[in-house]
Amino acid sequence: MKSVNQEAIEHDPQQLHNDLHAIWCNPKGLRSLTIVNHTTLGLRFMVTGMVFFLIGGILAMLVRTQLAMPDQNFMSPEIYNQVTTMHGTVMMFLFAIPMLEGLAIYLIPKMIGARDLVCPRLTSLGYFCYLFGGIILTSSLIIEMAPSSGWFMYTPLSSKEFAPDLGSDFWLLGITFVEISAVSAGVELVVSILRTRTQGMALHKMPLFAWYILAMALMIVVGFPPLILGSILLELERAVGMPFFQIAGGGDPLLWQHLFWLFGHPEVYIIFLPAAGIVSTLIPVFAGRPIVGYGWVVFAIIVTGFISFGLWVHHMFTVGIPQLAQAFFSAASMLVAVPTAIQVFVWLATLWLGKPKMKLPMLWVMGFLIIFVCGGLTGVMLALVPFNWQVHDTHFVVAHMHYVLVGGMFFPLIAGLYYWLPLFSGRMPSENLGRWGFWLTFLGFNGTFLIMHWTGLLGMPRRVYTYEAGSGWEIYNLFSSVSSFVLSAGIAMVLLDIALHFRYGKPAKHNPWNADTLEWANTMPPSAYNFVSLPNVGSRHPLWDDPNLPHTMKEGKHGLAVATHGRREMYGTDPITGKIREIIHLPGNSWWPLFAAAALAVVCLSLLTEVYALAGVFVIIAGVFLLRWSWENGAHPSAAPNADVATGDPPLHSRTMDGPGLWAMAVFLIANGSFFLSYLFGWFYLWTVSPEWRMPDIPPLSLLVMVLAGLALLAGSTVIEKLLRGLREQRDGRLAAGLYLAGGLGTIQAVLTGWALFSAELSPTQTTHDAVMLVGLFYALFHGGLAVILTVLQALRVGYGYVGAHAPFEPAVVALLWRYNVITFWLLIGALAVLPRVIGG
Amino acid sequence: MLLARFQFTHPIHLVVGLMLWSLWFVGVYSGLSVACAVAPPPPEAGAFTGLNAALGGVSLITAVGFAVLAWGGGQAAKQHQGRQRFHATVSAWLYLFSAFGVVFAGMPIISVPPCL
Repeated sequence: MKSVNQEAIEHDPQQLHNDLHAIWCNPKGLRSLTIVNHTTLGLRFMVTGMVFFLIGGILAMLVRTQLAMPDQNFMSPEIYNQVTTMHGTVMMFLFAIPMLEGLAIYLIPKMIGARDLVCPRLTSLGYFCYLFGGIILTSSLIIEMAPSSGWFMYTPLSSKEFAPDLGSDFWLLGITFVEISAVSAGVELVVSILRTRTQGMALHKMPLFAWYILAMALMIVVGFPPLILGSILLELERAVGMPFFQIAGGGDPLLWQHLFWLFGHPEVYIIFLPAAGIVSTLIPVFAGRPIVGYGWVVFAIIVTGFISFGLWVHHMFTVGIPQLAQAFFSAASMLVAVPTAIQVFVWLATLWLGKPKMKLPMLWVMGFLIIFVCGGLTGVMLALVPFNWQVHDTHFVVAHMHYVLVGGMFFPLIAGLYYWLPLFSGRMPSENLGRWGFWLTFLGFNGTFLIMHWTGLLGMPRRVYTYEAGSGWEIYNLFSSVSSFVLSAGIAMVLLDIALHFRYGKPAKHNPWNADTLEWANTMPPSAYNFVSLPNVGSRHPLWDDPNLPHTMKEGKHGLAVATHGRREMYGTDPITGKIREIIHLPGNSWWPLFAAAALAVVCLSLLTEVYALAGVFVIIAGVFLLRWSWENGAHPSAAPNADVATGDPPLHSRTMDGPGLWAMAVFLIANGSFFLSYLFGWFYLWTVSPEWRMPDIPPLSLLVMVLAGLALLAGSTVIEKLLRGLREQRDGRLAAGLYLAGGLGTIQAVLTGWALFSAELSPTQTTHDAVMLVGLFYALFHGGLAVILTVLQALRVGYGYVGAHAPFEPAVVALLWRYNVITFWLLIGALAVLPRVIGG
Repeated sequence: MLLARFQFTHPIHLVVGLMLWSLWFVGVYSGLSVACAVAPPPPEAGAFTGLNAALGGVSLITAVGFAVLAWGGGQAAKQHQGRQRFHATVSAWLYLFSAFGVVFAGMPIISVPPCL
């Protein structure tokens, strides 16, 4: 192993630790709310996720209590509907996704040899959005006004007509708020994995867990925006009467199902993939050998990531879609079994060829294999259209879903928590208590849900609050309910074990499982900066190949073992080869993420209580906070005012044209593009399918004004591109003037778009056509306005000396937004102004 | 060789195949849906319709294209070692899977009437 910074060998390790600690350490007391460190925030995500898991679990117990016997009045139908809806919602949105994201946030930098995630303040914003959104959503239970239309919120059941109280609004606003967290975590995990792996860690040497998280994060980025769009449209319908999902105005309730399941089915794999990543990490460690078929696992991950987006209609086989279309989705649903089976065979082969040690984490892995394979097989059964029709909306589907989600996510998660517990705390769990916990959970789970398959095959529908005596379902429901309490006892025992181990667990020896990945090169528990020095990794199993590596890293014998500059630093590396490209300097602790999330929470509450003026004010306040946060960047005095680096080290990222912010913007625009494409899908879907859709005889949108606006936008983008070319050649003459010019052209575009909107005289509460058009034009206006603000801010930063030939990075980031705006605006012109004139109604 | 220009050792090929598969999938589904909404063929025609022929033709061309790309990736893998061989090999299998995915998911076009 060669180090980049050989001078560091001469450093005193204790002094290095002290210096790094001074830069990276977490503040105490109230200021701990400013922490942006991934280790702390990862733990906060997981602890919060476990609290929501307990809430979701209690709701499940209430459901099973109600269904234990026929004709029970333990809960009223209204409360039962709220409890079942919130059980699914809490488990899916407030536990599964954030919990796994928290684990990834905690582990990924450690596994890839980095000191933090690439956007630490974004991690913090994501956490507070999650926390506040989760609190807002669950508070609806306390006031008995929780959503009650099912966790998928099908329209029209969730529409104003059938759900007039605030329940649906809590769901739509709360979940959208939480999704800010999911998408922001997705963006930074993608960029961190691609751009901050330690030197030498080429793509094909990356830990498999990182491959899984990369796929999961990209799936979040692409998969969540359709639901965000759907939620916005449904909330607009409920709040101001825009009829997106009402047939009479030209809408279609099935549009909601499409948008929901475009998110919802990938969501299952978003949950499964990181869990499978845990399994692929643990099995080689406990088998004592490398995984069999690393390349096959990568193949399976990529196939799963894509194919899972082609399955959404299999949730809609009974809504009247043509048989041939159903056959496409049926086949695709079966196809996804192929990569899953490949992984199962890889795991079995690794166990077969190794010498497995059945430690506590492996017990949970074995439980996962049994339960998940059963759930996968019933999934293939459900992919068959005739069988699907038979068991649609029965308890068979509920049983299948829990086999896949609990087997495919919860069991690996607990395996992972037990495996990484010594890293979290420096202590070992109790093997005895843990085994009791496993067996109670395993037996309780199968007693609950295996039986439920038969309950479903006997015809018991889901989402009914009770059933009549003599229906033949009594004994099955009673058995399921009793077993569910056994399951709860098992989970309680696991949680007790984890809680007790922090005090009574035996101190763990270093790398207690003899693992191969870099996270075990940390101290236990880890320091805030992870590693004193960053190694050159030449294999997939760095700790197996060099067991002494943790010591040499701690002694500062590898790269970036300097802290005298006072910056939080780590390597930025080539996404393919892992060669060092630049030094990434990270922002420190900050109040801005908390302030921005708090302002957004007020927006959420204001919308809930229909105080729209207040919501508008706090949107502006949140925007100001976010822009103020962005000001402390690059060459700003609180970021990296000077560009000094050690001899032989690469430049700081803010002094190049290709830092992580550029990648983050690109990934964010992928998410944004997914949102935009979902919007276009909605427009064309309603135009084609909705029976009452009416295209106006005279197109309301002025083509001339829209084209002029598009030309202004194109001109602004061209100006920015020209400035960028100059910056690449170290020329920054008239940079500020050029940015102001681009901002002016952007303003012209926004004004013209606003004029087109105003002159169209739309009636968005009367027709779906006008409502959809209005949303599209607002989208364009918002993006145009954002580009103008960011560009003018750049011009101001040039004046302050934060941007220029010496620090050319930020205009490149803003230029990406301009390119995106040009593409989407012209697509909007085509969809909203040109095609209606060409094709007509 | 035209195929040599594709540089199968680049990791972009890890996602190109299935991105194209996704486009094919969305294309045949939306094409079918639009055709059925705008100009559905008569039900008595069964599966022998112009729509089935068009969908089948597109699918066949797509599948053959994937097979060719898979072959190209396999050839490239033989000529390299290490990272580049890894990328080319996995890409070749992904193209092959994409071809299989088109054939498997497109098979019903042969026998199922389009708009029933």
